[in-house]
Amino acid sequence: MLLRRLASSGHRLAASLVIALTLFAAVDAPAGLAIALNSADGTISLIDTETYAVTGKANVCKEPHHLMPTPDDKSVIVACAAANQLVFFDPQTGQEQKRIRNISDPYQLGYSPNGKWFVATSLRLDRVDIYDPQDFRLIARLPAPKTPSHMAFDDASQFVFVTLQDSNEVMAISLPTQKIAWVMPVAATPAGIVMSPDNRHLLVACMGDGVVEVIEWRYRKSVKKVATAAAAHNLQPKGDGRHFYVSNRSVDGSISLLDTQTLTVVGKYEVPGGPDDMMVRADGKELWATARFARKVQVIDLATGTLKRSIPVGSSPHGVFFLNHAGLR
Amino acid sequence: MINGLSEAFVTIQGWLLDRLIQPPLLAMGLGSYLEMAFDGIEFFLCGVLQIGAAYLLLRPLEALRPIEVWPDRRAVRVDVLYSLLDRLGIIPLLVFALLAPLFASFDSWLRFNDIIPPQLEDLFPSLETRPLLSFLIYLLILDFTEYWRHRLSHRFRWWWALHAIHHSQRQMTLWTDSRNHLLDDLIGGFWFAVVALLVGVPPGHFIGLLIVVKTIENLSHVNARLSFGRLGELLLVSPRYHRWHHALDLPGGRQYRYGCNFAVLFPVWDQLFATQYRGQAMPACGIRHGPLPESAAQSGFWRQQYEGLCALAAAFRPDPCRPQPIGRTDDYRQSDTHAR
Repeated sequence: MLLRRLASSGHRLAASLVIALTLFAAVDAPAGLAIALNSADGTISLIDTETYAVTGKANVCKEPHHLMPTPDDKSVIVACAAANQLVFFDPQTGQEQKRIRNISDPYQLGYSPNGKWFVATSLRLDRVDIYDPQDFRLIARLPAPKTPSHMAFDDASQFVFVTLQDSNEVMAISLPTQKIAWVMPVAATPAGIVMSPDNRHLLVACMGDGVVEVIEWRYRKSVKKVATAAAAHNLQPKGDGRHFYVSNRSVDGSISLLDTQTLTVVGKYEVPGGPDDMMVRADGKELWATARFARKVQVIDLATGTLKRSIPVGSSPHGVFFLNHAGLR
Repeated sequence: MINGLSEAFVTIQGWLLDRLIQPPLLAMGLGSYLEMAFDGIEFFLCGVLQIGAAYLLLRPLEALRPIEVWPDRRAVRVDVLYSLLDRLGIIPLLVFALLAPLFASFDSWLRFNDIIPPQLEDLFPSLETRPLLSFLIYLLILDFTEYWRHRLSHRFRWWWALHAIHHSQRQMTLWTDSRNHLLDDLIGGFWFAVVALLVGVPPGHFIGLLIVVKTIENLSHVNARLSFGRLGELLLVSPRYHRWHHALDLPGGRQYRYGCNFAVLFPVWDQLFATQYRGQAMPACGIRHGPLPESAAQSGFWRQQYEGLCALAAAFRPDPCRPQPIGRTDDYRQSDTHAR
């Protein structure tokens, strides 16, 4: 949490220093480890972030989909949809830490900013589950037709916003009451969704229309549709509290850079293979993206804007994480 | 070499998605099916490779060591069509489209009632990190359930009316495996989906399991003098072993009233449930009399589908289009049987 606050308030240098010291203190840990999640293989690939070499592979479970860090960055949680489990990994070593069973069909995961709620969507079974993150006890299970996909929270942890891919909607769920607050239509096939750094706008990547739809969520009002490219799918903060990367997940795909203040696209990188999930290095030099349709993790050199490395991983890579990442807001 | 082939495979898969599948899906607002479409293309490409491999490896075997030689192979053509529709994913896609929403709704209903269907890995957690062992166990389970599905399709009169399409071929070749009535395919898909729901077949295993099963089934129908020997036929279904399942004249004995050698991959199920016949000869194939007209052996695709429906209707109640048997055997006389 501390690292995020530092980074989000612009003290990126300090954050990098703390991260570097933390990594240095872990004697047995690899210099830098990236974990890539391969959905179709049911595995994770372990990658050295300095040499880009795949140093290992581990079997995880049936059909893992997304991964996310715990708020303290001590674990990476893999959502095992078909296995009804959450599997925790040490982000420094890639070693499995524990498994939480009886988590029904988790697809995408999220902790509320206040750490009070843990939310899992079930894309296949059309519902959203809210858990107590302390013991992963189910608190509420809500119907969410159709195909609830990604999620975002407001800063006060009052709402979780979920994209409904097949019904072209965004659903807001009140966390204190665990009731559906509202549902509003958006552009075709919404997938990724994030809250803007000023907590004002929801940014929704809509694959069908190739746009990021900007929603003023307090008024349930669509403000703008920013065209990126075909199959706009996911968003990842650059870490400067202003810009987001948008993956356009087609085979000859790209990643757009969106300015949340001007609501315009200010940059674009050619990233083949269906870029999906992303992560930015803390030093801001590299953007890593899973190429869903190419069985690769693509590394983009942000200084030159070119594809620096293509790292072969498993089938249908659907998530990537490393500790040495830029801020997540 | 393998890396290069794998890279080429993924490149073609990606190209097909990008150029042929993604644009219409996005245009129709079906973008959330893209990942599924990508897997579907993999299924299609695997089917192309499988058909190619079957033709290159098994067809020469049929030419070199044929059990039967037919001056006219026209009856085989329809089986080639069935194989293309099946292996290239057309029929599986239809079955999936019909059944997937049904099973997803049921599964969702279970979850809302706090029931998470149990899985094999819940009983044996170590399988989670042992994919090869897990694959073999799932293969064994699926083959066991396929044995019973197959056996029941001979046991129930209405089901046999559909399955008889498969048995009506007298020129059995490597292509005959996919010759099935569409309703029979749908029932097979339903059966598989129930099993998958009960034991939790890993999606990553799905295509691999199908490839193994379909490859062995291609081999077991081949028109070639091929057996795996006494020991081999205890372990794996061979062409000779399966040929007795298709025999025009079944072996004698009450236990074979509904047929013999129902196993798809592993003959052990026939041994366990007393339906095994280890004949040394290579019998003629087909059905001499039964729910279909004699012409079914030569019919085209749609005609066979129609004949299957007529036979199905006749199985429930007498119908004018029900064919009259031209001969009877001891088996047929038994009132409680649909025997072949």
